[in-house]
Amino acid sequence: MFLRVWLVARREYLERIRTRGFVITTIMIPLIMAGFVGGSIFLGSKASNDRVIAIVSTDTQLALDLQTELNHEQELQKEENHHDPAQSPTSLSPQKKTPRLIVEVRDVVPGSRAELDQQLDSGEIDGYLWITPATSPAGRPTFEFNPRSNGDTAVHDILANALDKVLLREQLAHRGIVAADAETMLQPVSIAAAHGSHRDDRESAEISVSILFFIMYLVIMLYGMNVARSIIEEKTSRIFEVLLATIRPEAMMAGKILGVGSVGLTQVGIWLSAVLLLAGTSAAVHVGGDTFHVALTLGQVLFFLIYFILGYLFYSSIAAALGAMTNSEQELQQLNMFLMLPLLVCFVMLGTLLNTPDGTLSRVLALVPPFTPLLMYFRVSLGHPAPWEVALSIVLTSASICGIIWVASRIYRVGILMYGKRPNFAEVVRWLKYS
Amino acid sequence: MPIVELNHVRKVYDTKVAVEDLSFAIEPGTMFGLLGPNGSGKTSSIRMMIGMTMPDSGTVSLFGKPYSRAVLIRVGYLPEERGLYKKMNVLDQLVFFGELHGLSASEATKRSRRWCERLLITEAIPKKTEELSKGMQQKIQFIASLLHEPKLVIMDEPFSGLDPVNAALLMDTLVELRGEGKTILFSTHRMDQVEKLCDQIALIHRGHLVLSGSMPEIKASYPRNRVRIDYQGDNVFLNHPAIQSLKRYSGRAEIILRPSPTLADDAQSLLAEAMRHARITHFEVAEPTLEDIFIDKVRQTSTDPGNELSIADLRAEVEEESVHVS
Repeated sequence: MFLRVWLVARREYLERIRTRGFVITTIMIPLIMAGFVGGSIFLGSKASNDRVIAIVSTDTQLALDLQTELNHEQELQKEENHHDPAQSPTSLSPQKKTPRLIVEVRDVVPGSRAELDQQLDSGEIDGYLWITPATSPAGRPTFEFNPRSNGDTAVHDILANALDKVLLREQLAHRGIVAADAETMLQPVSIAAAHGSHRDDRESAEISVSILFFIMYLVIMLYGMNVARSIIEEKTSRIFEVLLATIRPEAMMAGKILGVGSVGLTQVGIWLSAVLLLAGTSAAVHVGGDTFHVALTLGQVLFFLIYFILGYLFYSSIAAALGAMTNSEQELQQLNMFLMLPLLVCFVMLGTLLNTPDGTLSRVLALVPPFTPLLMYFRVSLGHPAPWEVALSIVLTSASICGIIWVASRIYRVGILMYGKRPNFAEVVRWLKYS
Repeated sequence: MPIVELNHVRKVYDTKVAVEDLSFAIEPGTMFGLLGPNGSGKTSSIRMMIGMTMPDSGTVSLFGKPYSRAVLIRVGYLPEERGLYKKMNVLDQLVFFGELHGLSASEATKRSRRWCERLLITEAIPKKTEELSKGMQQKIQFIASLLHEPKLVIMDEPFSGLDPVNAALLMDTLVELRGEGKTILFSTHRMDQVEKLCDQIALIHRGHLVLSGSMPEIKASYPRNRVRIDYQGDNVFLNHPAIQSLKRYSGRAEIILRPSPTLADDAQSLLAEAMRHARITHFEVAEPTLEDIFIDKVRQTSTDPGNELSIADLRAEVEEESVHVS
């Protein structure tokens, strides 16, 4: 039995790995993805973060104070980033970076507004802040900000923030408070993250679960359907008649799943080792900069592998059952969603798990076989599942894989031999007992 | 002990009775022909023999035991609808099937090469299956079913789609296999092939067994009333009173003689008459062909008058398939 499974799996594996399609996807998909990521980083670095802002006022002192405040703030921010690069946003999108302001102070001369508008149009400056001093000593000056792009809310916020501080400081000084005291009062409160390391865990768990989800989705899309397709191929080419005259349908199903499955694993393995190799060289630093940072423990890697393989086998055997039920690729496409739906449900449930990884709902869901691979892995990396829960999840998933293969092989066996006839219940039962 | 035995087997598909009360036995070392037009239940019977389907009632036994998967290792099976992995290299494919039947890779390779030489397709060995002609693919499949040297060979329409040269090659191979003591069962709708090859036959029509037994016995049970004359000249001799019916071709006549206790003498008198009028290049007296017997039998067993077939219908049924194949 196992020898036959091995033979079928080996044939399937060798035949597929030798095809041109395999070589092409193995090379092309990482290239396309690298191109995409590299391209967006390149574009992001090209899109300048600097904004030239002109402050225009007859009250030169206020304008200069504002300039000092803005420069000081940016100094602080830069220092903070420099201090702890790992804490910087783990995001590859450049839009979220805070813009750096280059502040110019100008006097009001006749025609300066027209000149500013013209410079705004030509892109020499990205915006100007027009300050009209207060008419009465108790009143506030009025501000008018003219940005080049109305969507530049980040700059707007920075300016408003700095203005608040400058004005507050001015008012405090006005009421006779010493500048040093005022500075202390204006210090922002900082909350120390007591469980900083936990936050790291959480972040990397989120990222590795996302990667697992992505890889599983990709591999199931690429190879789960291949299992179904190869079973349909067997039907249309009618090889099954020769095969079934020698081997049990379960052996054939299992062989197909393992063979086609290993092809997927080989491909993912090649990709991952390429990524690791790349990460090991300085090339990664150049490409990803210091924005990409994933910390994985050995345990996480181990569970990643266990749950990835379980999930892969589980979904492949469902695909095999789908292939057994259908007679053509078109029919298969219609059933495609049965493969994707559980995966999507998992993804939706990730939110719940994120908040309460050890809640009752999370604990129950993580034990349901279609969800186990993703959700239990998530709980293992993030929550504190009891060892028996982990063991039970592995046992349940393995058992359901065997169950699905068994049922799928019966469906297959009955399906091909009925020749279009819908089997009645008694016949199905009879077939289930038969090999 | 018969190697294959069917006992009152019945198989019903959705709307159609495929096989009804079918019984026959195949003795070891015989070449057995399963005959009948398309749709008569040949493939259904074969599928039940190798356990692909189960009879609804009745029993099938192989090697004296009820069907079990274990005995299939001793069976070589060529299905009616050929199936090979199209993208696969021929040798890899043969070795794969050989290994599935329990051969080691090296033994399977050795035997595959030997068989390819025997069937004159060594040039196909390095090729992909899809690059081969249909006839070659059929030979590959033929080899695949024989690699593990099965005691019992079951072949569903092994010669269909082959040119006469290759069909003859495969027939010779089957005869050789029988000489090695193997039991061979094959199905066909070509009655002429069976006459040459088979020791025993079973003739089925619409799921029912019409005729079975050993080939010489069946033939001997029919009178030698078929006469074929090739001639040049006048054909007035065709009005001879012994002639019941005839077919005229240019320069040839195929004649059925009237039933009579003196059939052999009637034939001689017909020959004498013919020689008086024409130059005879060929004269032959024979039993009816299997095709004629088949038609005759089916007519006799058609009990339902509403469903009775005319000879023309039956002949068309048989001939249509012959044309279809060639």
